[in-house]
Amino acid sequence: MAETITVTQLNTRVRSILSESKSINDIWVTGELSNVKKYTSGHYYFTLKDSTSEIRGVMFRQSRSRIDFEPQENMKVTAFGRVDLYVERGSYQFVVETMQRSGVGDLYLAYEALKKKLEAEGIFEISRKRPLPQYPKVIGVVTSPTGAVIHDIITTTRRLFPADILLYPAQVQGDGAAESIVKGIKALNKEKVDVLIVGRGGGSIEDLWAFNEEIVARAIVASEAPVISAVGHETDFTIADLAADVRAPTPTGAAELALRDRKEVKKHLETDMIRVNKALSRTLDRMHYRFKIVDSKLSPKRAEQRISLHSMRLDELHSRMNSALKERVGVMRRRFIRPDSSMDAIVRRKLENGRKDLQRYSERLESINPVKVLDRGYSLITDESGRTLTSAGQMKAGAGISIRMKDGKAEAEVKKVEMKQ
Amino acid sequence: MNAEEMTFEESLKMLEQLVNELENGNLELDKALEIYEKAILLRDRCKKILDECDRKVQKMIETSEGIKKEDFVIE
Repeated sequence: MAETITVTQLNTRVRSILSESKSINDIWVTGELSNVKKYTSGHYYFTLKDSTSEIRGVMFRQSRSRIDFEPQENMKVTAFGRVDLYVERGSYQFVVETMQRSGVGDLYLAYEALKKKLEAEGIFEISRKRPLPQYPKVIGVVTSPTGAVIHDIITTTRRLFPADILLYPAQVQGDGAAESIVKGIKALNKEKVDVLIVGRGGGSIEDLWAFNEEIVARAIVASEAPVISAVGHETDFTIADLAADVRAPTPTGAAELALRDRKEVKKHLETDMIRVNKALSRTLDRMHYRFKIVDSKLSPKRAEQRISLHSMRLDELHSRMNSALKERVGVMRRRFIRPDSSMDAIVRRKLENGRKDLQRYSERLESINPVKVLDRGYSLITDESGRTLTSAGQMKAGAGISIRMKDGKAEAEVKKVEMKQ
Repeated sequence: MNAEEMTFEESLKMLEQLVNELENGNLELDKALEIYEKAILLRDRCKKILDECDRKVQKMIETSEGIKKEDFVIE
């Protein structure tokens, strides 16, 4: 006859069957964690799953000390434990006593492979590293806006050379972290920052994984602004550290690499000014010395000496010029007197000749003077207008004519004109 | 170049050039004084940059209209 039992009895029986079954006790189970919840009691509740199935899981507070990591969402683990049944709910679960992260070994392999690949490309070469600007105006920072990194950078830069800080708030761990960091590097380069700090605080290899991704390394290499990496991990270098132009061990160190100490810069400036002052006073001294030399040459005593020297020379020149002039005048005078006497004779002769010529011409002129003809008994007849009449044809009977004779003239009237046949 | 438009680095570089010129050159007094005056100007400019503490700390924000910047204060 069938037995009748209570629900509690049933669940208790199933529980004991499960706990006695060796095939589901003290075994390793691999899967991925999800719905991870930590209770104030210190117990962890989660779901362990693979691509097709899932099981509720619990890890009690006492077991937490056996693992060196914080159970997190999506973490791939291998958990050791047993199956147990929760009587009140009739649901069974996997009670985890310890667990290991799986895939960590894979990460190391991936890290090594990428490192080798980029090394072969020469990306880590020292010759590729760029010098940092001495006095950047803007520092770009790619990191989480809430972490210690940005806090430390801002605090440290206060005592350094003044520069603006432009933060790109990036996701620095988990899915999409690498893409977020790459975006930040590109965005800050577009803003023309002078230098970049890329970093995050310390953590496990998975926490830092974004800094081991190829796209991040390539973005660092492609960055126009030099990159300082500040991934908080003292011993191991991430790929980003190797690809960066400079690696800083801490965010404070990164800030100190990016900016010079304000006091030191001031000291440098003062040294420059001391040099300027020294050089200027040297120049002034030299000028003063040169002036003194010139000045001494200009003193009254020196001037007197020079003047008497000059005046002596002037006297000498004067006397030389005088004697030279006298000599010259004598020569000139002699040359002038000689032509004077000879010229006189020539002129006198010429004048004499001229006078004779004049006499001759004068007599000739006298002989042809018409008035002279009247002396010999001839008369000159003119008409009333004074025109000399030389032909009978010019006369008309009745016209008045004037007859000029040697010692006077007479007015007459033509009575008759007879022309020669 | 106008001193006001020069960066700290440019100012410092020019200052150092002037120092060298003063130290090496057999300069005329007028030229030396001119250089000296310029050096003082550059020194003041550098000091001003050094003492100016109103540097900005900003955060980039991605919006639908593109990237914007806003002041960032640490807690």
